Amino acid sequence: MALPPHRVDYLPMADRPKISWPDEAKVALWIAPNIEHYEYLPPRDPRRNPWPRSPHPEVQGYSQRDYGNRVGFWRMLEVLDEYEVRCTASTNLAVFEHYPDIGKAMTDRGWEIMSHGIYNTRYLSSLTEEEEREFYVDCVDTLRRHTGQDLKGMLGPAVSNTVLTPDLMAEAGLIYHADWLHDDQPIPIKVDGGPLVSVPYSIELNDVPVFLHHHDTQEFVEMVKAQFDTLYEEGGTSGRVMALALHPYLMGMPHRIQGLEEILDYLLGHDGVWQTTASEIAEHFIEHHYEEFVDHAEVISAVRDAS
Amino acid sequence: MPAERSPGMDHSHYPYSPLPARSPLIWPSRKPLAIGALVLLEHYEWDPPADAYSLRNSSGGLIKLPAPDYVQLTHREYGHRVGVFRLLDTLERHGIPVTVAVDKLTAVHYPWLIDHLMQRGCELVGHGVAASQLITSKLSEEAEAEIITDCLDTLEKLSGSRPSGWFSPEGVESSRTPELLAAAGVNYVCDWPNDEQPYKMTTPVGDLVSLPLFLEVDDEFALWHRRASLASWEGMIVGAATRLHMDGQTSARHMMLTLRPWLTGQPFRIRSLDRALSQVMQLEGVWAAQGNDIVSAFGES
Repeated sequence: MALPPHRVDYLPMADRPKISWPDEAKVALWIAPNIEHYEYLPPRDPRRNPWPRSPHPEVQGYSQRDYGNRVGFWRMLEVLDEYEVRCTASTNLAVFEHYPDIGKAMTDRGWEIMSHGIYNTRYLSSLTEEEEREFYVDCVDTLRRHTGQDLKGMLGPAVSNTVLTPDLMAEAGLIYHADWLHDDQPIPIKVDGGPLVSVPYSIELNDVPVFLHHHDTQEFVEMVKAQFDTLYEEGGTSGRVMALALHPYLMGMPHRIQGLEEILDYLLGHDGVWQTTASEIAEHFIEHHYEEFVDHAEVISAVRDAS
Repeated sequence: MPAERSPGMDHSHYPYSPLPARSPLIWPSRKPLAIGALVLLEHYEWDPPADAYSLRNSSGGLIKLPAPDYVQLTHREYGHRVGVFRLLDTLERHGIPVTVAVDKLTAVHYPWLIDHLMQRGCELVGHGVAASQLITSKLSEEAEAEIITDCLDTLEKLSGSRPSGWFSPEGVESSRTPELLAAAGVNYVCDWPNDEQPYKMTTPVGDLVSLPLFLEVDDEFALWHRRASLASWEGMIVGAATRLHMDGQTSARHMMLTLRPWLTGQPFRIRSLDRALSQVMQLEGVWAAQGNDIVSAFGES
């Protein structure tokens, strides 16, 4: 943001360099199932209680999410396979250790694995700088050990962060951070080292906030279609990013899965959609547009110096 | 002070005035309904001052997270970077001149945006220092007066004209606010969503006009706090405008829509606003106006 800590320069959508996606696509679409494990008895964190409903264990909340790994994931997988979706799986990396079947299903399909931390019940917000540095080493090593993939990006575990997170991510060799909901395009983040860019994720086009409030499947389907229609129209001028965030414990339920089919039918039924992964969006942006964006931000901020 | 059980209000900001007992309000060209849009550019600070007050249920983000809450802060920042242009484009396309409430930190840190708003003919109204520094009764009178003048001075310096209107951050006031606004030369205030017509407020240092916003269709109130569906919100806007247009035939009404760029400016929400306005603007004789125009016409009626 333009205000302290000045991680991001102000760059108004109304005055920006044009983004060109491969094959002149209008929308870069990344689909992010969140593959998570919430601990039965998580370590106590004084700043954030993962299970506030009752003293631990909280078996109802735990089981609701566990359902995703036992049932929901596999139902979602059938639909994702049918539409040949290249997912960017936002993964608590301990899933590879607890549930090798899920790990194998993801790697067999060539999904990109984005770090979502180790467990969804262990938050960055309580770590010291040195602990957070070790956390990235663990994430990079764990992913490489189980998949051979280089870790490219992260959505903080349960979207937790520290002030230093972007610097430490860049230091560990990551190139994108998905916790920034500030834009419809990738944006350079100022870090020691780098480059690091934001690849816009969504907490709006996201089954958790939608279904944990009082909305139903059809409202979610309509939201996703409307989001796409707007970005697709605007993407004719300059490329846009659309993220679809899913959780098997919600979207993989029997009464919701048809909504996912309807969504994929609609999104992938359009020409000019680059169905890709978060790291491919980041890499394309860094290679082709990063410098232009940084330079243009200087032009925009010169208004401040003049005023 | 607790209320005394006697006729009238339990404060001295304005007298009780039942709408049917008022003389008819007449807008220019006898139009029955004035439509306005108040777009809010609110800044949430990364690290607010320790003694600052912000709402416990401030909107945006997910659940309340330990600082730094990237999710809430960047969700709100979306409005300044992307959403505001969608709102301005949509409102302009429907012929609605835009009123924008701007806080001091937005003005100071987004001067490009202030220039842009002025080029598009927006009216700016004062909106405090930041959404993370509310005006409440916990402030001293001096500190509150300082927030008001600091905001107005900054907007005047950066935009070239001094705002005549005011909307407190998050609509939160102290019991002194109307008087301090009048003392600072503010002409109208949007903090009191209690009427379908402007009305006069009195303070020991001069009068003020209250220009009520329409809280039920306020995007944050409807879509965030009440989690109304988009179809329902669209229906509320059209339904309210249709009825106000009918009632306005005997005594004119106004409808100020409160719109947040980070919320209604999202790609999937903007289409609902667009559809609602298409219907509203088809009503015969709707007067689309800025806050200042409505308040001036009220003064002349």
